[in-house]
Amino acid sequence: MTQNGDASRGMESLRGKTTLREILEVATGFEAGARDFYRALIPRVSKRIRYLVEDLAAEEQTHFDLFSAMSQRADIAEQVKLEIERTASDSKFSDCLQVQDLGEQPDDQSVLQYAMGREQAAMMHYGELAQTAPPGPIRDLFQYLAGEETRHKLELEKVYYATIYRGGGV
Amino acid sequence: MSVRDLLSPFTAWKNLFRDPVTIRDPLNDRPGSARYRGFHQNDIEKCIGCGTCEAICQNKAIDMVPVEGSPTKQGDSGLRPNIDYGRCCWCALCVDVCMTKSLTMSNAYTWVESDPDAFRFTPGVDKKHWDNAELGYRRPDGHRLTERLRIEMDEMAPQTRIESFSEIVAGYDIEQARLEADRCVACGLCVATCPAHMAVPDYIAAVRDGDYLRGVKLLYDSNPFSGICGRVCTHKCETACASRHEGDPIAIRWLKRHIMDQVSFEQCRDIVGGPGAATGKKVAIIGAGPAGLTAAFDLAKLGHSVTVYEALDKPGGMTRWGIPEYRLPYASIDRDIDVIRSVGVDIRCNVRIGKDITLEQLRTSHDAVLLALGLQLGRATRTPGSDHADVRKAVDLLRQATAGEDFGTPRQAVVIGGGNVAMDIARTLARLQKKEFGKVQVTLTALEDLAHFLADPDEIKEAGEEGIVILDARGPQQVVVENGKVTGLKTWRVKAIFDEQGRFAPSYDESDEQFHAGTMVVEAIGQMTDSSLLGDALTEKLTWNRGRLQVDAGGRCSESWLWAAGDMVRGPDIVTAVADGHRVAASIHEVLAAKEQTK
Repeated sequence: MTQNGDASRGMESLRGKTTLREILEVATGFEAGARDFYRALIPRVSKRIRYLVEDLAAEEQTHFDLFSAMSQRADIAEQVKLEIERTASDSKFSDCLQVQDLGEQPDDQSVLQYAMGREQAAMMHYGELAQTAPPGPIRDLFQYLAGEETRHKLELEKVYYATIYRGGGV
Repeated sequence: MSVRDLLSPFTAWKNLFRDPVTIRDPLNDRPGSARYRGFHQNDIEKCIGCGTCEAICQNKAIDMVPVEGSPTKQGDSGLRPNIDYGRCCWCALCVDVCMTKSLTMSNAYTWVESDPDAFRFTPGVDKKHWDNAELGYRRPDGHRLTERLRIEMDEMAPQTRIESFSEIVAGYDIEQARLEADRCVACGLCVATCPAHMAVPDYIAAVRDGDYLRGVKLLYDSNPFSGICGRVCTHKCETACASRHEGDPIAIRWLKRHIMDQVSFEQCRDIVGGPGAATGKKVAIIGAGPAGLTAAFDLAKLGHSVTVYEALDKPGGMTRWGIPEYRLPYASIDRDIDVIRSVGVDIRCNVRIGKDITLEQLRTSHDAVLLALGLQLGRATRTPGSDHADVRKAVDLLRQATAGEDFGTPRQAVVIGGGNVAMDIARTLARLQKKEFGKVQVTLTALEDLAHFLADPDEIKEAGEEGIVILDARGPQQVVVENGKVTGLKTWRVKAIFDEQGRFAPSYDESDEQFHAGTMVVEAIGQMTDSSLLGDALTEKLTWNRGRLQVDAGGRCSESWLWAAGDMVRGPDIVTAVADGHRVAASIHEVLAAKEQTK
């Protein structure tokens, strides 16, 4: 399984979308896909690290709920403008990790690396789309989505450090 | 009667225009002198509740009492002095002995109350009109009733110690130990901080009295790893010591070591005594580290038949396989373990549970099973290139070094990590390089800046003295491999290591890249437990808490026959593992005793 493959093709489909609601619906679909992926992964990993995958699925559900709620709003453009002011800068940490396939029985480090890699890929794709989109609400929306993915990646990096560098657990 | 007699009374009128020589309102207009020992003041924020004022008071005028808003925390009992002015003689010994200079005396000396009980009060808590008085008695700078600086311990010079794995520190001699023990005010803040709650002031008093047999008895009451802890304990007790506020903390760890150094193995064995009266109950313990062996010691003393299974060929766990001999000589480990054996603990080495014996077999043949597996697996950074064979884990190399195996000492090495394990492997490699190549070429890189290194400050200092280049705030970016061989490590500068909430979250500056040459890269970051012996079915049955086995306060798992203790439950720390061993042994004993009663 590669993290960039399907996601990349999905991201490309965003280029053809012309309304904010359409873009948000596609982005929401990505989150649902990720959530379902983690939910399916739960029984595949050892029980001792299952909490990690459950947390990841819950995180994706939170994002799914956030984007779904936003797509239903009449003032999407205004809301996006407000949200992109909460910028998050990339820590560059995930650039230094080997991206690995999850394999049959992934350990906690592999799961976290996979999740960070996925967020990294999404962040970069949304960022590219924002750069190529003309100024206006659609660019703003891509910037917002890139910011959300960056924020999520930063959170995962904190969990990664607590588990791998500062851990001492199983 | 003369004329003079008649007129003389009127001569007093000449004083009518002079200044008065008496005080009009002596109760209010006459302040005490600048250094008068008047009513007490206490700076509640500076006070640590050590109680030395209470201990020194010759009239028993001071009681330490709990007060609202001063919670108990590390290095602060939360208690504050309550003073009885029916007893106080204003000698100011309490002020002179105060370890933080929080207790002072104002120059106020008048206080009118109708209620006699009001003259017992808690300065700084019960508001008084002299609370902000600037004059009065304070302990003069430089005037102390105890020595400020600790007695230095002799240790090898860097150029000597790098030549071998001989122990660096010499240990106190009797005179040095007594002088150091004399600095202790016996406040006991250390007791609360020590995970094993060792009777620190009492065993320091034994050093002062030269009564080492009493000292050993006190040590073994709470810690069968006292010889080991006397050398390598994380000595959290010293971070709570009242003496650290105006000088060095008492060298508690070294005093513990001193006691153990004065007493022979035979004396220790006799003091500890043999096993308890046999109960007929059998306990299996997996892992011969501090937690497992402490539990074994307690359970054997209670009369249970205890067998400890150890996968490696010698007991001791990470104390033996993770700590280099220059810090902890193997003879010290052997002595502590031999005392544990002397109470009847059967330690079987080279037995790997899950391979040589199954966990199920242990379960059926014993009344209780304790897992004390430790954290013997090293984490990997998984940076690009880190899957190369010459990228090694510190815990593996330390284990090989202890076993005397040749793992191919690199001429140049890079270590990743800023904790004690990183320092241990860097200093081990330095000694091996010195022996093999005549010079040290080890670079240590860590994410943290120096102020936030997890390693003991002494370790960092000594590593630097031994020629190890320590580069802080460097994040591993890539292990560089050329023509199939490791040539070094690329790092990026770490801009910040904590986020705004204080969580560990390093962020990198990719524009600041450095290359550190080395033919071997050693990863010394986190550690984890190898819990594969549990097997899939039991792993699935057990309850877990965010990656660790969920245990109750006594260390019992969700399966009633199984307990877990030590680093695998609490994280890495020897004295914490010892404390956990006691806790779990008490829980196992309680359960076994209850079973016996219901028969």
